[in-house]
Amino acid sequence: MYWYHWTTILALSICISVLFWHFIRLISLGKPKDYSRKSGSITKGVVYSSTKAMVDHKESAYLHIPTYFAGMVYHIGTFVSLFLYVFFLLNILLQISLPPWLVWILVAGLLVSSICGFSLFIKRLLLKPMRNLSNLDDYLSNFLVSLFQLFTLLNLLYSNNIEAIYYIIASLMLLYMTVGKLKHMVYFFAARYHLGFFYGWRNVWPPHKSK
Amino acid sequence: MKKLTKEQIDKALKVLKMPADSKLITHLNACVHCGLCATSCMYFIALQNDKYTPARKVELVASLYRRYCTLTGKIVPKLVNARELDEQMAEEMIDILFGACTMCGRCVKHCSIGVDIAYIVRVGRQMLAAMDLVPATLQATVDAALTTGNNMAIPTEEFVDTIQWMEEELLDEMNDKNARIPLDEKDKHILYTLNPREPKFFPLSISAMAKVFYAAKESWTLSSKMYDVTNYGLFSGNNEHAAVIAQHLYDEVKRLNANTLVLGECGHGSRATRWEGPNYLGMEYDFDVITVVELINDYIRSGRIKLDKSLIKERVTMHDPCHLSRNGGLESELRFALNNSVSDFVEMTPHGFDNFCCGGGGGQLAMSEYNDRRIKIGEIKAEQIRKTGASIVVTPCHNCIDQLMQINHTYKLNVKIKSIAEIVADALVIEK
Ligand code: SF4
Ligand code: SF4
Repeated sequence: MYWYHWTTILALSICISVLFWHFIRLISLGKPKDYSRKSGSITKGVVYSSTKAMVDHKESAYLHIPTYFAGMVYHIGTFVSLFLYVFFLLNILLQISLPPWLVWILVAGLLVSSICGFSLFIKRLLLKPMRNLSNLDDYLSNFLVSLFQLFTLLNLLYSNNIEAIYYIIASLMLLYMTVGKLKHMVYFFAARYHLGFFYGWRNVWPPHKSK
Repeated sequence: MKKLTKEQIDKALKVLKMPADSKLITHLNACVHCGLCATSCMYFIALQNDKYTPARKVELVASLYRRYCTLTGKIVPKLVNARELDEQMAEEMIDILFGACTMCGRCVKHCSIGVDIAYIVRVGRQMLAAMDLVPATLQATVDAALTTGNNMAIPTEEFVDTIQWMEEELLDEMNDKNARIPLDEKDKHILYTLNPREPKFFPLSISAMAKVFYAAKESWTLSSKMYDVTNYGLFSGNNEHAAVIAQHLYDEVKRLNANTLVLGECGHGSRATRWEGPNYLGMEYDFDVITVVELINDYIRSGRIKLDKSLIKERVTMHDPCHLSRNGGLESELRFALNNSVSDFVEMTPHGFDNFCCGGGGGQLAMSEYNDRRIKIGEIKAEQIRKTGASIVVTPCHNCIDQLMQINHTYKLNVKIKSIAEIVADALVIEK
């Protein structure tokens, strides 16, 4: 193992610890105490909130198809890259080689997702309403994650040459995840829960017909 | 604006620093600034200015949270746009959180993450209320309710006169001495509540509901003092005031020993009483609280009232009050009532959960300084109505009715606006 392996393991540990701290803080603050008489089901509300509500007639999706599509692909690319990052680390010990067809599928997918990531970055930079909404954190987060995807792709192809740079970029991203908006990785799920709680309690979600 | 004192700032920040549960920090940390919510908000659509993007409203509160409650915001505020709470910020918050949001919640479902934007706007208003910065016009409405028991400060004698006048009309129409509007009677099944706009401007909606009660042979009463279903504390952001107003109705149910509190036709009032009231008071209610729409539907389902929908031949559409449909779970109940009352019912596009606010919610009707914006955003509702081709618009909310009447006039829609009680009363078949 080289220094950059140790560096990235340290960054990963810090990242996991901080995100875990955010998670624990959410759990310890607990769910809302509602004294009103419940009329629906929180469980059903949360299930709907985490599934159909994310696609069911959602304006942020169908009024903005290119952006929404790019965002989805970009997020899938991020999860695949994180998964591959763990795989690369384990592979230092396991020494498994991926079949070439799988490598090419991953490369093609990550190429598309990182292009999506950089496109969203450019969109944020070029459109005035987006610039007005954005802060430095938004640009950095977007850029680091897109770069991480691009270097995951390159590491799949040329790991002998770029491994050190790959792990440095991954480490930077993991460390940055603890301070910037990338934390939404944890808060996204909490937000879906709270929406499900709110609408489920009042029998708004899941949608229903009157008898 | 006068310089903010340290005490004011501390009080405002306490709202952020002492969350009751995980909801506040969740929604303050979740927005990713994708901007996709803009096109779901009528302020952005109608005024075409990105400062009205829902995320920008969240950002006002979230930037303060980052500045005062996160390490990154304290160390490198520029990185995460962590802002100071100063006079400029407070002015922006007043203009945007009070003056450019009806707290309708339409943007919430459409947010790509699920940020409860309306809830965060309410938190921002809470902070402003803690600093005594609620717009004077809105605060006057709250004060009227606190001091007189109703938000229009209608004197009791005037209210009683109106009710007696309506009772005489009802007696004449029904030609039956049992057709009454009981006042302050104890041990009745129902305590019915009103939006003060009814006795003040639309007393016929009271007699319409009295007619429904008469047909259903209901045991009911009104209170002569604490009949106001509204609670502008929901909009001012002052939870103490909201609690005092909620307590008015709670105490009145107890004083009159009623079994069920029936919430009159008011969207936010129904929400503030049914869903928020117990939380303002920190206790569960030991009596039933239902809306008038649910009550009417109960009468229809159980056969206690009979309706002849062929009596109303005109085309009818419905405006969903945000706090009854989207935030109250009554979307299908509203349709049940209307489908049983009229023969030609047509939906607006969009409707139900996705309906646009009329533009008068969130206390906008009380804040005259934002009238121009309110009428402008109402154009979206006006176009929705026009496209249905309906000649009657029904909505179970007297605040919505007020706004709809104004846009009816401004945008020359030439429609009639009615409450649910009025349309049901029109379709009522009285069996003697
Ligand atoms: S709650 Fe309604 S008015 Fe407020 S930002 Fe959302 S859509 Fe706009
Ligand atoms: S859609 Fe949601 S996550 Fe995106 S900017 Fe709007 S509030 Fe933030």
